[in-house]
Amino acid sequence: MPGKLAGLDYLVLVVYLGGTLALGLYLGRRIHTGKDYFLAGRSLPWWVIGMSLVASDIGGTDIIGVGGAAYSFGMAVGNFEWIGCIPAMIIGAFVFIPFFWRSGVYTIPEFMERRYNAAVRAALALCWLGFMACNLGIMLFASAKMMNGLLGIDLLEAQSQTLAYIVLTAALVGVYTYAGGLAAVVYTDTIQCVVMIGGCLLVVVMGINDFGGIGPLRDAVRKNEARHREARIAELEAAQSDDAELKILKSVDPERIEHTELILPVDTRSPFPWPGILIGLGMVLSPAYWFGNQAIVQRSLGAESEFAAKASYVWGALLKNLIPIIIAVPGVIAFARYPELQDADTAFPVLVAELLPMGLRGLFLAAFLAALMSSVDSYLNSAATIVTNDFYKRFFNPDVSDERVLSVGRVVTVLLIIWAVGFAVVVSRMEGSGIYAIFQTLMAFFQGPALAILLCGVLWKRATGIGAFVGFVSGVAFSVTLFALNQESVYSAIGTQPLFQIAEPFLYFSVWAFLVSLTLVVVVSLCTKPEPDEKIAGLVYHRKMQNVEGGD
Amino acid sequence: MTPLHHIGDFFRNALLTIPLPGVRVIFVALQLALLLWVLSLPRSAATPPDGSGGWTSNLKIWASLAVLVQVVVYSIL
Repeated sequence: MPGKLAGLDYLVLVVYLGGTLALGLYLGRRIHTGKDYFLAGRSLPWWVIGMSLVASDIGGTDIIGVGGAAYSFGMAVGNFEWIGCIPAMIIGAFVFIPFFWRSGVYTIPEFMERRYNAAVRAALALCWLGFMACNLGIMLFASAKMMNGLLGIDLLEAQSQTLAYIVLTAALVGVYTYAGGLAAVVYTDTIQCVVMIGGCLLVVVMGINDFGGIGPLRDAVRKNEARHREARIAELEAAQSDDAELKILKSVDPERIEHTELILPVDTRSPFPWPGILIGLGMVLSPAYWFGNQAIVQRSLGAESEFAAKASYVWGALLKNLIPIIIAVPGVIAFARYPELQDADTAFPVLVAELLPMGLRGLFLAAFLAALMSSVDSYLNSAATIVTNDFYKRFFNPDVSDERVLSVGRVVTVLLIIWAVGFAVVVSRMEGSGIYAIFQTLMAFFQGPALAILLCGVLWKRATGIGAFVGFVSGVAFSVTLFALNQESVYSAIGTQPLFQIAEPFLYFSVWAFLVSLTLVVVVSLCTKPEPDEKIAGLVYHRKMQNVEGGD
Repeated sequence: MTPLHHIGDFFRNALLTIPLPGVRVIFVALQLALLLWVLSLPRSAATPPDGSGGWTSNLKIWASLAVLVQVVVYSIL
């Protein structure tokens, strides 16, 4: 961080980190079985899960990255937290979550085996495990890189210091996740949610106050946008390169403030055109994430009742309304204050350094660490749940006792931490090779197909195991093909144009992969023998089910 | 140009013809449809099975509030 931290800032950080660790270790004393470890003994209250959902969804890199995206493209990035979360959370609360809770499963792939077959379970578990394992390493590396800039400590040479932060974060999160499992993850997330919202809200309030209100802030943004537009027009006219962009820029209404708009046109240069947001994000990626992401759904499977599982999603949706205000608005404030930043990702840290006094900077750093830790611990615990339940218990030792499952889960957690540190080091050595961007797109590869088989499985009685397997694998393959055809080295070699005209078209990959999967699931299912009624009893949704309360 | 390019261009050009105010109407209408669905849910789907907690335990109220905020957000931003 450009401003130096003082002793009080470090004290705030130490208190926060110490408190988190102590709570995690305390909760670990209550863990005796696999069910305690992976589902918190199905004892979690709704308000704790709701806050954990919000904290887990926002990573440390998101705070910095969303602030950076808002600096560059404006509030449109807030769509990811609004239409990209809330509708799916509300539908999930009343349709999917009670359904999963009632079935008593530990994982979504486990549900898929009950509904379809073991091949679908294994394919989905493999995709989630691969994504989570890689993402753990990437989150550790990206966060360590940011901590290098934020903490302002220069004890070691840059690469060694990055490694030190990777190991330190992994050890801290690893200790309480190892000890307390899902309960430790969810309860520490609750504190992290409060710290994160409090720390970021402080930046927003002080930032707007510093401008003298929202009106002067909007005026400053409008002025800076006009200046940027004029500079870009001059650049394009000098280069005589892009007629389409020039035409768009010249036709912009000078009173319009793009940085405060949520709905951007199809031909925007930002990665957030409205069809991508509405269809790709709102209708595919978001439902896939909130209905099918193991790291998210797992905490509601640990709810104390079906009602608590539903209430947690509704509470999470209410809190989500606040998130774009606390993480995207600072980016817009930074654009108004510092329109010439070279690296947009420095927008949030620069604002914090300039606005917050001593002590409060420590609170913001605690908020950043809270966001980072709440995501890493969730993925760590969920990856361990998948390895233990969907592979070890399912394929290698089906008769294992619940106490033994706990031991295996803890060993897997340790192995995953070691893997994540190793992978983070590999990613740090390959920085600049594009590997980071590829892994960021990973989730878009299989989220669409995963949603297609989940929707068909839950809502359509006629969907079969073979149909789901063919649809899922083909959808993932199609998604990877689209990604490849959009790479410059590929489309240049085969002499075509890029398939998509916006930057980072991952929202579109997911839409097309979803449609391909859905079509194949329907066609292949209709061509294969229906699943027997007794096999799918209680696994396919119908409205009468909303009145049933039960569980294992 | 591959067949995928032609399909993509067709959809892109079709979507370009929808004016942004019309798009805003679609965004808001979808949220309103969700709100109506929430309000139409049976009471038993949104309250604890033992009926405890009074009106504050009715999830339809809080879910409607979350969606209403969205209606406001997408109407003005």
